[in-house]
This record gives sequence, C-alpha cells and structure tokens, in this order.
Amino acid sequence: MQPFTYMRPTTAPDAVSAFASAGADARYIAGGTTLYDLMKLNIEQPRHLIDITAIAGLDKIETDGDRLRFEALAPMSAVATNDVIIRDYPVLAEALSKAASQQLRNMARVGGNLLQRTRCMYFRNGADGVYPCNKREPGSGCAALRGLDRGQAVFGTSDACTAVSPGDFPVALVAMDAQLEILGPAGSRTLPIGDLYRLPADTPHLEFTLAPGEMITAIVVPKTAAGRGSTYHKIRDRESYAFALASAAVALEMDGDQVSRAHIALGGVATKPWRAPEAELKLAGQRLTPEVALDAGRAAFSGASPGKYNGFKVELGARTVADALLIAAERSRS
Amino acid sequence: MTGSDDMPEDGKADTDNRTARSGFFTLSRRSALEGGAAIAAAAIFADASSPAKTATAAQSAPLPVASDQALTISATINGQPVAAEIDARTSLLDLLRERLALTGAKKGCDHGQCGACTVHVDGRRVASCLTLAAKIEGREVLTIEGLSDGAALHPMQQAFIDHDALQCGYCTPGQIMAAVACVAEGNATSKERIREYMSGNICRCGAYVGIVAAIEDAASKMERG
Amino acid sequence: MSTAPFPDRARIDAFDKVRGATEYAADIQFPGLLHAMTVTARIAKGTMTELSTDAAMRVPGVVRVLTPDDFPPPPPTGGEDGPPPPPPTLEKRIAYRGQPVAVVVAETLEAAIAGAEAVRPNFADEQFSCRIDSAGAESESTEDWTAGDAAEAMAGAATAIEATYESPTQHHNPIELLATTAVWADGRLTIHECSQGVNVTKGSVAGALHLDPALIDVKSAYIGGGFGQKGLAQRQTALVAHAAMLTGRPVKLVLPRGQIFHVATYRPNSRHRIQLGADATGKMVAARYHAEHEQSRTGFFSPAEYHESPIRMYGIENYLGTAANIRIDRQAPGYMRAPHPQASCFAFESAVDELAYKLDRDPVAFRIENDTKVDPKTGHPLSSRLLNECLTEGARRFGWSRRSAAPGSMTASDGTQIGWGVAAGCYPSMMPPAIATLRIGANGSTRFATSGHEMGQGIRTAIAAVLLEGLDINADKLDIVIGDTTAAPQHMTAGSWGTAGAVPVAAKAVERMRAAVSELLAGRTVAGNLHRQLATVRRPYIEIEVSQVGAGQNDDALAQLREGGFVVAGPEYPEFTTMSYIAHFVEVHIELHTRRIRMPRVVSIADCGRVISPRTAASQVRGGVVWAFSAALREATEIDRRYGGYLNNDLADYVVAVNADIGEIEVGFVDQPDPLANSMGLKGLGEVAMVGASPAIANAIFHATGKRMRELPIRIEHLL
Repeated sequence: MQPFTYMRPTTAPDAVSAFASAGADARYIAGGTTLYDLMKLNIEQPRHLIDITAIAGLDKIETDGDRLRFEALAPMSAVATNDVIIRDYPVLAEALSKAASQQLRNMARVGGNLLQRTRCMYFRNGADGVYPCNKREPGSGCAALRGLDRGQAVFGTSDACTAVSPGDFPVALVAMDAQLEILGPAGSRTLPIGDLYRLPADTPHLEFTLAPGEMITAIVVPKTAAGRGSTYHKIRDRESYAFALASAAVALEMDGDQVSRAHIALGGVATKPWRAPEAELKLAGQRLTPEVALDAGRAAFSGASPGKYNGFKVELGARTVADALLIAAERSRS
Repeated sequence: MTGSDDMPEDGKADTDNRTARSGFFTLSRRSALEGGAAIAAAAIFADASSPAKTATAAQSAPLPVASDQALTISATINGQPVAAEIDARTSLLDLLRERLALTGAKKGCDHGQCGACTVHVDGRRVASCLTLAAKIEGREVLTIEGLSDGAALHPMQQAFIDHDALQCGYCTPGQIMAAVACVAEGNATSKERIREYMSGNICRCGAYVGIVAAIEDAASKMERG
Repeated sequence: MSTAPFPDRARIDAFDKVRGATEYAADIQFPGLLHAMTVTARIAKGTMTELSTDAAMRVPGVVRVLTPDDFPPPPPTGGEDGPPPPPPTLEKRIAYRGQPVAVVVAETLEAAIAGAEAVRPNFADEQFSCRIDSAGAESESTEDWTAGDAAEAMAGAATAIEATYESPTQHHNPIELLATTAVWADGRLTIHECSQGVNVTKGSVAGALHLDPALIDVKSAYIGGGFGQKGLAQRQTALVAHAAMLTGRPVKLVLPRGQIFHVATYRPNSRHRIQLGADATGKMVAARYHAEHEQSRTGFFSPAEYHESPIRMYGIENYLGTAANIRIDRQAPGYMRAPHPQASCFAFESAVDELAYKLDRDPVAFRIENDTKVDPKTGHPLSSRLLNECLTEGARRFGWSRRSAAPGSMTASDGTQIGWGVAAGCYPSMMPPAIATLRIGANGSTRFATSGHEMGQGIRTAIAAVLLEGLDINADKLDIVIGDTTAAPQHMTAGSWGTAGAVPVAAKAVERMRAAVSELLAGRTVAGNLHRQLATVRRPYIEIEVSQVGAGQNDDALAQLREGGFVVAGPEYPEFTTMSYIAHFVEVHIELHTRRIRMPRVVSIADCGRVISPRTAASQVRGGVVWAFSAALREATEIDRRYGGYLNNDLADYVVAVNADIGEIEVGFVDQPDPLANSMGLKGLGEVAMVGASPAIANAIFHATGKRMRELPIRIEHLL
C-alpha cells in the first residue's frame, strides 16, 4: 500500500471541496470495508483519503411519512435492526443482515455499501499482473471469460467482463425502486438506484455513474404495501458469511389470492443488481401456486447466458426466486 | 471444479496475459505530545491490560512517511487515554499489536474474512484489520485485554473455559469479543441466532458446539448482571 | 496399569487463552524489531532474470532487500539415509508460482509491504503443468500394499462393486498465519515460530544457512492451529533468520494468507479407483484399489500410504493396493489432518456403503459382520480393535433402528429430504521416544519439560491430567514446557502421536518422583502436599529425568531424538499392529428446491484406547467432525491451469465451515485401554476423529436422495 494523506471533514460540503482540492487519486472513505480491503491488495491506490464518517448528522434513519430515508452514513447494522424496517420491509432488513458479518455491518455504511466492488477472484488476485482483468487494468483482457467461472454472472456480461455485482442491499433497493440523493461539486441531484450501476460493456472499469467528487448522501425508498409481503432469499456456499450464488429480492402486492404487483430483483447472478420485469409481468393477476412461482423464476432467468461452470445458477436462481415468492406471499397473508 | 475438457493448455492464456517506532505515546494531553514529551505508553499498557507481556512497543525513530501522510490520534483504549502518531496506512489491528503490545487481537486474514481481530469500538464489534487506525480518533476501543479486571474473568471468558469453547486459542479473543457483543445486541436468544451472529468468527479447530453452549450460558449470567 | 477413567478437567491453558494472554509466535515483543515482507514469483516455472532492489530501497523505512545473491548455495543432501534437505532459501530458478524471490526488511510493517510491492522482478517463463491431468504430468508408481491374492479372490466374489472417487486440493488454513521472528544476539540465533517440529526448524535453518545447529534455539510454545501445515520445515524460516543476522536486529515475518496458499503444503487432489468383492455370505473378501495424487517434481508425500487405513478397516484377506505420484509443477503437498485416510476412507467407506446397498444389507450390520482381530498386511494381531463397540454404541445413541432403509424414503413435512448415513474410520497409532525432566520445588512450583507441541489438541492438558492425578502438587503453579529446543530434546508432533509421546513418559516421571520422595522421606510421615513436604525437610527441590521408547525401539531411538531426528514407532510394532477406530453417524437434510445440504446432528464414538483428558478429547472429535464436514461439503482450492497458483487464496473464497453450518455433535468413547501399545493404554485421536465422517455425510446424502456422490466437495449444483 502506498502512503496517502488522510482528511476528516465534518460537513458534507467540506468533504466535497476537500475532494476537489485534493485533485486526482482522491477517494471518499466511509466504513472502508471495501476500499481499505482493496488498498491492502494494492488494487485501489488512492493518494488522498477523505474520511466522511465525521460528518455530523448524516446517519439518520427516517421511517415517518410516505417514504423511508436512510442517510448514507447509517451503519448497515443500524438499518438492519430498525424495528419498522424489520416489520414493514423485511426485504431490506434481510438483505442487510444476510450480508457479511455483524462486525462488517457495524463498520460499513449503507451509502458505501452501494459502491461495493466485485468479488471476482481474477479481479482481486491480480495486483501482480498474473491474471488479466479489464476492470483492474483496462484493455488487459479478462481471465474469467474462459476460466474458473463458477461464481461469475449470467446476466449483463460482455466480452470484456463477467464479474458479479456482489451486494445484497442494492438488489433489494432496486426491487423497491429506491432513489439516491447525491451531493457533488455541481450541487445535489437525485438518481434512481438502477441508474447508479453501469453494465460492463467494453468499459468494465467504469462501474458507477457518479461523477468525480460526488457522494451518495441518502437512500430514499417509497413506501408500498408490498413491503410487508417481502423477503430477501439468499443461497450461498455456506449457511452464513458468504456472497450469494443466487439471491432474490421479492415484494408482493396481493389482492386476495392474486398477485396485483410483484417486485423482483436478482443478486449473485448479474453484473449489476438485476431487475426481472419478465417475471414480474408474468405474475400479475395470477394466483401464486408453487407452479406459478417456479414459472416466474424460470421467466426471470430466460435471458441468462451462462459460461462453463456457472450454468447451475440458472436453475438455482429460478428456484430461489420461486421460493422467495412463496415466502413473500405467506408474509403478505399474515 | 476440476473439469478439464476443452480447457486451454497449461500456461496458454487465451487472453493477453501481459505481463513503533514513532513512539510518540502519551497518556496526558495533546499539548504534552506537541511539546515533545514522549512517554512510552507501552509500560502503562503492560500494567493496565496485559499482565503477561513485557511491553517494548514504543520505539524512538521517526515514522518513515511524509508528514502529511502521518497523523496523530487520541483515543481511549481499555479505559486508558492514548495518543499516538501513526502512519495513515496503519490498521487498528496493527496499531494494537505492533505499537501498543496489545496482541490479544489476532491477525488471521487481514481482510475482514475471519474475525480473529474483533474488538469493540464505542461498544460495537468491528474487524480491527479493516479499520483504519485513524478512525478511532476520539473513540473508545475495548480489546480482550480490557474485558476483565485482573484475574476476575468476564462471564463469557469463564463460559468459554467451562464449555471448552476453544482449542488452539488463536481465534478465541475475537470469538469472545464477538460473543460479548452478540449478547449485548440481543442476538443470543436461541442457538440458531447465536450461530448466525457468530458466523463472522471462523474457528478452524471446530469448537463451534462449545462456543454456542458458552454463549447461551454466559448470556443468562450477563443478563442477571 | 490403572484403568479408572480420568476425571473431567478444564483445559489447562484456557485461562490464558480466554484473556488473550497466550503468546503465539507473532505476539512476542522485541525492542528494535524490523518487519519483513516477501516478494513472490509471478510465473509458474522458469527463471528470474532480473531483480532490481532500487525502487524498494527508495521506499522510506526500507532497511534492506534480500535477494538470492544474499544466500549461500544449498547444502549437499545427506543421501538416502540422511535428513531431508532444508527447503530452498531464495533462488532464481522458479519451481512454482508464489515461490519467494526476495525479502524486504523495513522499520515498519507498512514500509515492508510497500517495499515488497515495489520489487518487480523479470522472469523467463517455461511450459508448465499444474494439474493432475495436465499435459506434462509424469506418473510414477510407488510400492504396492498386498495381502493374499486379490485378483483370484475378486474373480470368485459373489457380489462386487467398482467405482472411482475423487478428493480435491485442499489447504490447511489454520487461523494463525505462518509467522517467524528471529533474533541474532551474542552469537546465538533464537527463532520463535509456529512450528509442530522445532527440531525440524532448527535442523533446516542450520542446513540452509550453513550454521552449527548448536548455535540455534527454536521456541514454539503455542501454535494457533497446525493440522499438519507446521510440521515440516517452513519456507520462510531461514529467510527471516538470515535477515536478522544481516541486519543485526530482530526480524519478524507474518506471511499473508494468499502467500501461504502458495508456499505451505496442502492436501493433494487424489483419485481412488476401488473394486470391492464379497462372498455369498456377505463377508468382504477382496479389494483392488489404485490411488494416485498430484505431487511436486521432487516431493515425497507418498500415495502408497492411502492403503494404510483401508487395509486394516475390516481385515479383507485379499487386498491389492497400488498407487502413483502424478508429478507436476507445484509446491510439494504434505500432511493435512488425517492426511491419507481422509481421502482414502472417503473412497473406501463410500465403496463399502455401495456394496452394502448392493447386498441389501444394513450398512451398520454389514460393517459389524466384517470384524477382524488381525492386520491382513502383517498377519499380526491388532492390539485392540473396538470398532464394533463404536458402531453398536453409536447406532444406539443415534437411534439407527428407526431408520427407513430405502434411499429417498425419509422426508420432512416441508419436503426436505432426510438421510441417515454411517461410516467408520481408522488411523495408525504411533509413538515417538521422549525424554522428560520433572522438578518439584519447595517453593510451590512444578516444572515438567519434554518433547511436544501445543496446537490446541490439548497435549498440555493431557500431561497435566497425569501429573495432577499422580502427584499432590499445586495445579496453578505447574509449568509444562514443550516446543522448546532448550528445554528437552524435541520430536515433531504430528500423526496423532503427541499424547503417546508425552503422556506415558509423564506417568513414568510420576512413578520416579514418588519413589524419589519416598526415598527422601525414608519412612517419615510428613504433612502437606509435596511442596510442603520438601519445605519441611528443607530440600529446595527434587528433579528427576526419565525417558521412554516405543515398542521395538531401543536406546538408538533416544540418541536419534537427541539429534533432532524423526523416529516414530508403529503402527506396525514388532509383534502387533495398533490402530485407532471411530464410527460416525450423520443426519443430513436436503432442501427441497434449492438443495442446500445441512447436517443438524452427528454422533461419533471413538476407540482411542484409554482417554487421558476427556474434555479436550471430546473437543478433538468435534473438531474432526467439523473438518470432515468442511472437507466434504465446502473446501476446494481452485487452480486455473493457464496460470498455475491458487485462485481462491483467501478465507472468503476458500470456503470453510462457519458456526451456522454446524449442528449438534455428540461424542462418546469406548475408553478401554489398549493392552499392548504403551504403558498408559492410549491410542492416537486427533486424526481418526476426522476419518470416516466425510463418507458418512456422502452416505447420508445417498440415503436422502438416491444420488451417490463420489467427488468432493459436494455442492448445491450436484444435487439440483
């Protein structure tokens, strides 16, 4: 790790101007669970760190009114254990509490969590230049393409990159149509969360649509009756403390036995948090039987393009969606 | 994943495979530090928290980084005020272990993947290996050395002994710090919940059954106070 | 020999361990300490053509960069009978990716890391082979293990099965990282290292650096998990020692886990083709078994030993075991917990299960009916084999009689498939010689020094059990000094022989001490414990020395021990063979749709002779079951054949069992002394605890689903 300067501004505008004056190679750091990790791997090499965790009053969790609002510096564990979220939006609470470990959830903040970088092993293991990686070194190639791709994406891939977007919470937020509040040198703006993430295409090193110096300041989730009938279902290689092989964020608005509206997003299988509109459409107006749920799961994966070893994610993902739908429906009835 | 059909030959990539010393510790105010009154904190740490150690952490050479890449932090560690000049790169774990001779927290992965480095910051458990030491400015850090007072063990420590919830002992300080937090968070309410909320601490010896039993046991005692 | 059960006793070092006060190798503090970081080879085979240290030396805080030019040439090997050569130091010739090529030494850890990152050597690479099925892999047969005439017996078998099983590359991954601190002072080199063989460390550093071994002390008081990784000489030790000598300051290196994957040993990927035949009565009469595994170009970890346990499981009278190394360009594999039988008993006990099903026999009854009291390999008696007692007691505790035999016939109300499986294991019970001193002081202290290493198995607690049972001394002032070349001659602790090495000699010390005290008191009755008695008769202390050798060994073994040699007796003793046994009963649940495999409960009953330390022994077995679970359902090291090296070289991607994976594990012991193995009637436990539990899981999965899983690890995709 190369040396860097370290600043700790106490207001968001100060942080933005600190970033502007630091110039190139500056990075905001919040919990640091991704950035510091990648710095230790010599993959991230910032020259200036601007620690935003001393900014006062940017960690509020608001559940009144017609929306949920989580300020960026709220720890993941704080949102995960909020009573209103647990009761009314289990999909959000579960997406947070099934991520990482309690230690890391105490450190990581919900804003930074949206910017977690991929766990692709070829990306993380290549600071010495052994494995080519277009994300790490644009134009160098992608070792995963014909490599050990069991963990790689089946949606949103390109000839340059198949790396999975690793987060859980972003998947739930995409399902719930969240908006982001963003502050930057040019002022503030809002952004639908789905627009935060870029597909790799031929520029996999560009992962987010934030401009230099912009930071996420809050996450806003519109309230919906579907919140109570929701779940985040996550299948992994062990029971806990692992990234998803396949996951599904599901929320259902029911009209009696029938689905009136379904929210479905997929994790662990795509290069960005992946909404599944085909499956959502298929469910509208249906009575949710196990067969209908599995049909919807299969519809969600109809466009998948697996590689050599990750073909199982298509069937596993479909069944994960199906089980998630049944859990959500059960909750919507209680 | 051992399949080999249609794999390229070994070595034939189908893509282009291009090729503690700063020693400025003081237990007093910042002004003393700025005045250059360098008091070796290590001896105090040895006394306060680490009975088994002969502390020698404080060294005298300057930090080998530019001044704008170093910083001075002030925090409370195991109830003791601490100030130190640190390389900004330093993790909390390395600060504890290599500078302050508090070696109870262990390095098992250095990437937040094992939990052996678990300590409390402001009462919450964190992975000290992924915590920049700079971030403890103004905060209270509790390590295994500060959990109990002398020979009187914390109920969790006693429960780990009683249920043989350890073998090699290397992950144990992290397990215990995580376990104490697990109870305090209200997550020790069932075996299933304990297992889930202790899964961030890997015990390679496989003492999980004992760890769960110890936490159930200690939780009831901690609640009784 | 007394056969009374030993009482339950707390782990003797737990008090320090729960306070974080135990000092592991990387914890010991030294003034003026320098930090080291290694630079590794990017290529899988070839030569380092250029190494510039300039950039690293410009990193503030870097003190020195060691390169191959700083090291003496490797010493001549001692020939066939001599000790194995020490591991290479730094070399320009690259045998595998991740091989160390330089060491950066700096004032701070941060500077050492930055310095290592600044070293960018150039390499000339060569064609390489890095997987068992790679072109360029060379097969090399080893000696056969035979009993009777397997070909003829197989031809006459009434029922037979044949199948191939596979176990993946796996890495030990103790949570403690490989760590060495070396101090060069006053003409002596002191090495603090996490080592299961401080004698091995001493010899290898002496050889690598051309030093007189008499100048080297090695200390490894506590090890943060060994599992076999820390038994042989470690690649970094001589590098750190040399750095300390060149800089004149203490130097510490804690290897990053990613590097450890590449320089430590590992469990090799292995394949097992087994033919198993039974006669018309259901007695197993013939086995033909070929094992092969991946191996480095020069490694010695023998594939023939895959047969050591299966041949003694059921006394199959006709057995032909063949084996081969498949030599490729990797670092050498080695001993990882239950080194051979983890893989071979997975294969063999799966095959036994397949044969039992083919014969329509209950898998427990089938095993019980294939009992033996004789080692087919030697024709000698097995000194004890209480596997049937393990199977019977395990079946009772597990409730095996309630099992519905047909695969797929047990289902929960939510559709979860339930499977009950059984398998057995055995492991050689061996014994090294030992020399011990015991000193009891009038001041209340007791010091016992002998050979051994504490890696969590509880060797200190077992020693303490014997000392405290036999002597009236202060438990809280008992100092057990092991893992220290300055305290007593040291032997490598591995292969489950630690207790057999340390406990009988402790018992002998107790007897000798009692005799010495009796002689001192000369018939007087003196009140109080031994310390009080010594004080009363104004004797500052009594110190005695005792030694032991294994059955069939003589004083030559003690001489070899004093020289730091490897000298282990068994399991084939002159007139008998001694194996430890275990039976595991496992319940698995398989989720209806997403096919997650869970293991809510296990019952394991072991025959390890007399149990010396009941509490730590039970923990050993639970740990073995967790290891077997993890080996069966989680762990595999991934190698991309285009690049060599290990891709998933951290604890996020090399998936080991976490707390939420593990359910209830009930442990029991037969606790009957072995009549011949040693004076205490004990047999080894640490490895056998693991053996057989992986096939029990696979057999349970078959029972749940009807799918026979012959390749580990078994994952969701295999059951979808």
